[in-house]
Amino acid sequence: MGGQNKKEGLFRGTPVWVLTMVLLLAALFVSLLTAVTIGSTDIPIEDVYHVILYKIFGAGDPSYGEGNLFRAVWYLRLPRLVLAAGIGMGLAVCGVVMQAVVKNPLADPYVLGISSGASLGATLAILAGAGAVFGGNSIGFMAFLGAFGVSLLVVTLANMGGRANSVKLLLAGMAASSVCSAFSNFIVYTAHDREGIQTVTYWMMGSMAGATWEQDGAVLAVALMGLLFFWTQHRNLNLMLLGDESAITLGTDLHRWRQLYLLVSAAMVGFAVYAAGMIGFVGLVVPHVVRMLFGTDHKKLIPLCALSGAVFLVWADVACRVLIEGTELPIGILTSMIGAPVFIYLMSRKKYGFGGGD
Amino acid sequence: MKIESKAVECILNGSPILKGVDLEAGEGELVGVIGPNGSGKSTLLKCIYRILQPTKGAIYLDGDLLGQYSYRESARRIAVVAQHNYYNFDFSVREVVLMGRAPHKRALDRDTAEDYSIVDEALDTVGMLKFAERSFSTLSGGEQQRVILARALAQQTPCLILDEPTNHLDIKYQLQLMDLVRGLNRTVITAVHDLNIAAMYCDRLYAVKNGKLVGCGSPRELLTPEFIRRVYEVDAQVIDDETGRLHILFHPHIWQQGVAR
Repeated sequence: MGGQNKKEGLFRGTPVWVLTMVLLLAALFVSLLTAVTIGSTDIPIEDVYHVILYKIFGAGDPSYGEGNLFRAVWYLRLPRLVLAAGIGMGLAVCGVVMQAVVKNPLADPYVLGISSGASLGATLAILAGAGAVFGGNSIGFMAFLGAFGVSLLVVTLANMGGRANSVKLLLAGMAASSVCSAFSNFIVYTAHDREGIQTVTYWMMGSMAGATWEQDGAVLAVALMGLLFFWTQHRNLNLMLLGDESAITLGTDLHRWRQLYLLVSAAMVGFAVYAAGMIGFVGLVVPHVVRMLFGTDHKKLIPLCALSGAVFLVWADVACRVLIEGTELPIGILTSMIGAPVFIYLMSRKKYGFGGGD
Repeated sequence: MKIESKAVECILNGSPILKGVDLEAGEGELVGVIGPNGSGKSTLLKCIYRILQPTKGAIYLDGDLLGQYSYRESARRIAVVAQHNYYNFDFSVREVVLMGRAPHKRALDRDTAEDYSIVDEALDTVGMLKFAERSFSTLSGGEQQRVILARALAQQTPCLILDEPTNHLDIKYQLQLMDLVRGLNRTVITAVHDLNIAAMYCDRLYAVKNGKLVGCGSPRELLTPEFIRRVYEVDAQVIDDETGRLHILFHPHIWQQGVAR
């Protein structure tokens, strides 16, 4: 790749961003392996690795494949970390995509009514018993349906009276969002189910605590497929920032793509919400930090955001478990507590935009 | 490649903007479209570069209907430098020009060494190669417009449409951009505001007023004082200097009233 930023020495000729990607990938593995040793109960570090080695490679003492120690590591700690990585990846990528789709740097994965749709679905499940046919996972499933349903509604609304564009999508998203929150609030207000209301509140704050390997599989698969899909779309995502007219002169009619991207994002966010509730600010802050460091080209932005998002959420989950002794902080609260100040800092450092324009 | 518009009509929001315009730009010709504000120049060009659909009539490329091409296919034949190119983000200059390769790419294609050398060549042509790593948003208007021209060149199209690309540029950059375009040897259709620029660079001119063609010919044939008065409603003097170049001098109202200046 002629003329790109290059680093001297050992990695001569390799663009900096590719190098960063490799480093971040390594960081993700190291993070997972470190984070799994940290928790509320004291488990000796070597025991943690014995369990993992035994479970994955069948190496070592079979006694590590059973008992409380085994269950704590293999069924409690590890699944939630893997889930955190998958969700961090998905939310960060969706954040980048949403910001391009609505051509607005303030967009996050929840912006087009997806979050309110998910909340409405979850509220319906918890307080009105909707979706009971889906069994034990009815809350997550209804949340997913809500998210996906609302994004379909948003696309339909934005297409009324002419082709959808980024502004119409944004407005339709706001409208759908308000309607959904109103209905959620109505249900909460008229419900006389104190425990249910608490569940709704807790769910809205997000948590990895309920992670299982089955969920991990679903969330990771969707996040990875989404990541690969959007990575192949880097040219179109770049064109979205130029606007529809320039894009047509460069050979792409963005209209259909924009809606496809929205639906793929809704599926990714829906799965994240299904597994862990609402986790704010990851999809907003991670893309901005990466953009400040590496520019706006989506060829770099998509993979770098995915990896940074994953690393970030793994550590956020660790912090949730250890910050307050004896209790666990909802992760959504933590990410917002960290995310909002970082966001304000970014805003004050540079004139706002897509990191551009001085 | 030859571009033709045949009896193009365009109705926008219920009002007819173009009322049947025929235009032809032959292989390698630099054709200017002139006319006062709101005459429909830009609408005509937008029909040609497919932002707008003609309500009636059609655009042809070498005799083939433009509408039958996909946007990808037409973007490999026609490149556009348009009026507004203010982007609020941090693409580097090279990234902006690399987007010109988009019509030649499928989703899974990588950017090859060839793409990068085409991009660098285009940047070199417009004299912006040393700015390749700079952030696009930090450039001046003239520099940005040259980068957009480089992007159009990277598309490697036989035709180029300029939709008043020199608006808001200093005279130096206006001349620089037009010099560049003149040297390209492609079929070019450009909207021009400044009649002197039109006279300097264009092979042929089409004049549009109120959505209709009101004249067509070489600058020398077309740009007469009578014609300028009829189309622009101003008095002008047209001077043919000793080297055979055309200069248009405008005579504002206050001069004719004998006001001392």
